[in-house]
Amino acid sequence: MLIAGSISAQKFMTREGYIKFFGSTPMENIEAVSSQASSVIDASNNAVVFQVLLNSFTFEKALMQEHFNENYVESEKYPKAVFKGNIVDKVEYSKPGTYKVTLKGTMSLHGVDKAVTTPATLIVEKGTIKLAAEFQMIPEDYNIAIPGAVREKIAKQMDVTVKCSYQEVK
Amino acid sequence: MKIVAFVFCVFALSSQLNAQDDLLDLLDEPDKSEEPTYVTATFKGTKVINQQSCEIPGAGVMQFIILHRFGALNDDFVYNFFGLEQANTRFSFDYSFNDWLNVGLGRSSASKTYDGFIKAKLLRQSTGAKNMPISLVAYSSMNYNTTRWEDDLPHNESDRLSYSFQLVMARKFNDWLSLQLVPTMAHYNLVEYTASSNDVFGIGVGGRIKLTQRVAITGEYTFQLNPNEYELNGELTPYKNSASIGVDVETGGHVFQLHLTNSRGMADPQWIGMTPGSWGNGDIYLGFNISRVFTLKKPKTAEEPQW
Repeated sequence: MLIAGSISAQKFMTREGYIKFFGSTPMENIEAVSSQASSVIDASNNAVVFQVLLNSFTFEKALMQEHFNENYVESEKYPKAVFKGNIVDKVEYSKPGTYKVTLKGTMSLHGVDKAVTTPATLIVEKGTIKLAAEFQMIPEDYNIAIPGAVREKIAKQMDVTVKCSYQEVK
Repeated sequence: MKIVAFVFCVFALSSQLNAQDDLLDLLDEPDKSEEPTYVTATFKGTKVINQQSCEIPGAGVMQFIILHRFGALNDDFVYNFFGLEQANTRFSFDYSFNDWLNVGLGRSSASKTYDGFIKAKLLRQSTGAKNMPISLVAYSSMNYNTTRWEDDLPHNESDRLSYSFQLVMARKFNDWLSLQLVPTMAHYNLVEYTASSNDVFGIGVGGRIKLTQRVAITGEYTFQLNPNEYELNGELTPYKNSASIGVDVETGGHVFQLHLTNSRGMADPQWIGMTPGSWGNGDIYLGFNISRVFTLKKPKTAEEPQW
């Protein structure tokens, strides 16, 4: 029964999720965008996962992008950022509407796992779900060292915006 | 009954714990066959020292490089303030039209040489969907010497031209070691002696060892297969092979390259086939290359969904 239940459970997936991070200092703004995040929501148990290849982020400056991959997140060694978690509130996936929810789980980046909790908005439509979330990340929490020479140019905290539009997995 | 309930509980618990992993597996499946993962940052700079590396600046980026080679270590070094009193200089601007084509202009003080160059990435080292073991980059420069003729012989304007070709075959072996093999050629429209060859062929090797995220040691050597000769103390002797070692230091938009080299000329035909200096004799020049990049055309980034 349990097995049968989980197989027929509704899952919603995207491979074109939008993720942006932005950090600003008086010296320089850093903004990077990926539209290749993938994510699944399992309606049967509210489980959610996100993953994004770090080298899919595009920066305004090519050299910034190289430094991001080569010196900061070390994407050859740690290619992905992964979030594994749950929607902690009850959502009626069969009932269209906008739900204010909380996402709770573990973010894995640069070989470091960290507990993350963030408010999010879930818009349930027929056959699709949209999810939007904004939260902050501190590079140093993930052992991403910023050397003294560029400390003035790189914000201590990055604002992360996530927008995903899911389709039901048939 | 208790055992059944216990097994059921364990199963229910473990399925809860694994729920996310199952979802991740769902995401992973077709992911692997999609795009190849291209290797980046095989070298910090577009030059190892004098030799071209397999790198070009990103699409829409202009690069300015200023290069100096100071006086020789064996030329009254302290009297000449550690060679810093005298410098050969070069500066160049280049621009990448896209992620594979770069063109540039430069000017070197030695022989008052102007040059134009073109550099194209033909293959990019990659893993994943496409497995490509090396990066292959073709480079060519045309050099125009503008010194006044000091002889009374009739000269053609084309006598001032020389060319170079470098085919860079590079591989980033891991995050600290990159090596490249560079078949090299220099062509001189005008040579010094009738016995001299207009074409000098060579095989170059270059490499870098990354020490930290921002500091690397570099080295390069170009072996000439058929070196021309020059006059040293009244005797003809073959030009030396160019050999250099250096340190790369990267700070944000700059790469500082500090090095020791036996080649003082920085235009390609000068260092490839016209290096009189010898490491053994102490004809060693301290030098630097400093690059700065300017993003002229911003890359396209995905639009934020509006909802």
